[in-house]
Amino acid sequence: MTPVSLDQPWGRGFNVEHNHAFARDSELPTRSFLPRGLGRSYGDVCVNDSGVLLHNFRRDRLLDFDEVHGVLRCESGASIADIAAVMVRRGWFPAVVPGTRFVTVGGAIANDIHGKNHHVCGTFSRSVLAMSLRRSDRDMQIVESNHPLEDVTVAGLGLSGVIDEATLQLDCIPGPGIKQDTLLFGGDGSIDGYLSLDASSQAWPYTVGWIDTLDRGLRGVFFRGEHCDGPDDWLTPNTAKLAMPVDAPQWVLGRWSAKAFNELYYRAQGLKSATRETIPLWQFFFPLDAVAAWNRAYGKRGFVQYQFVVPRAAAREVVPKILAHLRESNVASYLAVIKSFGEYLSRGVLSFPMPGVTVALDVPAPNERDRRALDRADAMVADAGGRVYPAKDARMSAAMFKRFYPQWERVEAMRDPMISSSFWRRVARSS
Amino acid sequence: MKIVVVGATSAIAQAAIRIWAGEGHTLVLFGRNNSELERIAADARVRGAVAVAVHAGEITSNAYIASAVDALAVNGGVDQALIAHGSLTDAERAAVEPDYLAREFTVNFTSACVWAQLLASTMAANEQPVTKTNRGDHSRTIAVISSVAGERGRYSNFAYGAAKAGLTAFCDGLRAKMLPRGVHIVTVKPGTVDTPMTAHMKRGALTASAESVARGIVVAMNRKTDIAYLPLIWWPIMTIVRAIPERIAKKLKW
Repeated sequence: MTPVSLDQPWGRGFNVEHNHAFARDSELPTRSFLPRGLGRSYGDVCVNDSGVLLHNFRRDRLLDFDEVHGVLRCESGASIADIAAVMVRRGWFPAVVPGTRFVTVGGAIANDIHGKNHHVCGTFSRSVLAMSLRRSDRDMQIVESNHPLEDVTVAGLGLSGVIDEATLQLDCIPGPGIKQDTLLFGGDGSIDGYLSLDASSQAWPYTVGWIDTLDRGLRGVFFRGEHCDGPDDWLTPNTAKLAMPVDAPQWVLGRWSAKAFNELYYRAQGLKSATRETIPLWQFFFPLDAVAAWNRAYGKRGFVQYQFVVPRAAAREVVPKILAHLRESNVASYLAVIKSFGEYLSRGVLSFPMPGVTVALDVPAPNERDRRALDRADAMVADAGGRVYPAKDARMSAAMFKRFYPQWERVEAMRDPMISSSFWRRVARSS
Repeated sequence: MKIVVVGATSAIAQAAIRIWAGEGHTLVLFGRNNSELERIAADARVRGAVAVAVHAGEITSNAYIASAVDALAVNGGVDQALIAHGSLTDAERAAVEPDYLAREFTVNFTSACVWAQLLASTMAANEQPVTKTNRGDHSRTIAVISSVAGERGRYSNFAYGAAKAGLTAFCDGLRAKMLPRGVHIVTVKPGTVDTPMTAHMKRGALTASAESVARGIVVAMNRKTDIAYLPLIWWPIMTIVRAIPERIAKKLKW
């Protein structure tokens, strides 16, 4: 598995200069560096402008698998794609997967990613039984429960050292299928429809909603799923048959095309409303992976993704308010995702999920006005006691970051002195 | 099937090992770096290889090769082999350091020929009955990784190209020699592959992934292809490159 770009993050549009190093054996770069996996973070947490990127994607060996308990030890550059492809046919699946399978285990830990099953499983780090960490200033560390480096390595954005190997608890699954329900909600300008569907679907291991943020009524589609068996040809994923061969021209990306797209998407889902179907798990978990390099659809200037979470008590009121604010500020968006997190609190001090409701939306090539609108949204999120997701960020202010993550200084204190990132220099500087 | 991989730590070899492991074969891996070999073997076991043996040693020394192949012969022979070790010769250094140039020839040419010859002789001597697993169709094949660089001596990398040219010629002859004895030789000619060996080079539109080249190798071995350009686009390109008259080619700094 190789990254689409060695320099750009997934959101693209950065003007950056890197030196590249490839992780082998035990040597670490002798200059300031940043460990990097497959570069699927949207913004500058995987950028180290004017510095070294230590690419880890070739350290991708699976080292040991306990077939009885489903415990896998692997190098941190192993991808979720690879692990899933090998393990699904044996009846095992990563306990937590993000919306793309092209992320490394190291990146999944460093951003403490979540999935559609956060309400029953928590974040990725909950399935990590142990990890080893290489640092420039001390010997290899074995980081298990309650190790002093644990809470800054989980969700530590790669700053606490290079994650070398990890031991993962996989989930036992009955087969390569997903039994999926598709239900429509909303239209009344609130998220009540989503919240009640979510509340009545707590027994389903996977739940997620799509919400049309360009629609005043906040219409949406709710998906819930659970593992089931399926035919043998679902055991392996279809490799992407489609690819974005070129960058889309900028005019494709405006508000009107987003509106048209959302309209079509909603109607397509409406046609199969409330139907129950069985689909390959790849299609359920990783719909966007069907188009290779789909980020090119946003053109050369790229896009940012804005993902925030607000506490459960405030969500009902605040989420529609923030979405209305973004709509009124003309911040275009395709396919915003809404998800209700569970009660699990992560070990990482910079971990994003909290009990509450999260919304993620793409903002193509934001201009100054869009940025001001997003800053205003940051303030609304902060006032509600919520936070914004660093793995997707390319723009939040240092002051806001420190408000979202009051324990950030612990990461700064435990950071490997040789490691830094563009993101960290941006948000951790004294304001 | 029992498959031998020489230079198992190379990126293309590792990718091929993963394919064979997933198909449930038995693997014997040769390389120099023991700890890397052990990791590759562990990976192959997790992915489904029936058994994996690891041998770390001086894989470019004749004595080592001879004893290794003898050991393979007494341990039930070999069905398929991939000879994948190689080194991208530093042209500047080769121009001023004769010992380095000679060593590079040993790595890229001499040792690969010795492995191919000895493995082919062993396979020929050890006639295998047709069994359920080999079905008699794609057993006894050796793939040797040469390079499109061996098609023509070029300004920038003729030391590497010369070794690969020699290896290509050797494989052609060996293929003819082994034809009546039922051992097939595949000459693999990759273009630029995205591996640690080429990490310093710029990735272009023609740069292939190690995984795609490995898939091509496995297919070529099973089909008993003679010469496999990987990806195939290099066949027309090299046809043109070979056709350029020398009085023009000598002026190209390519």
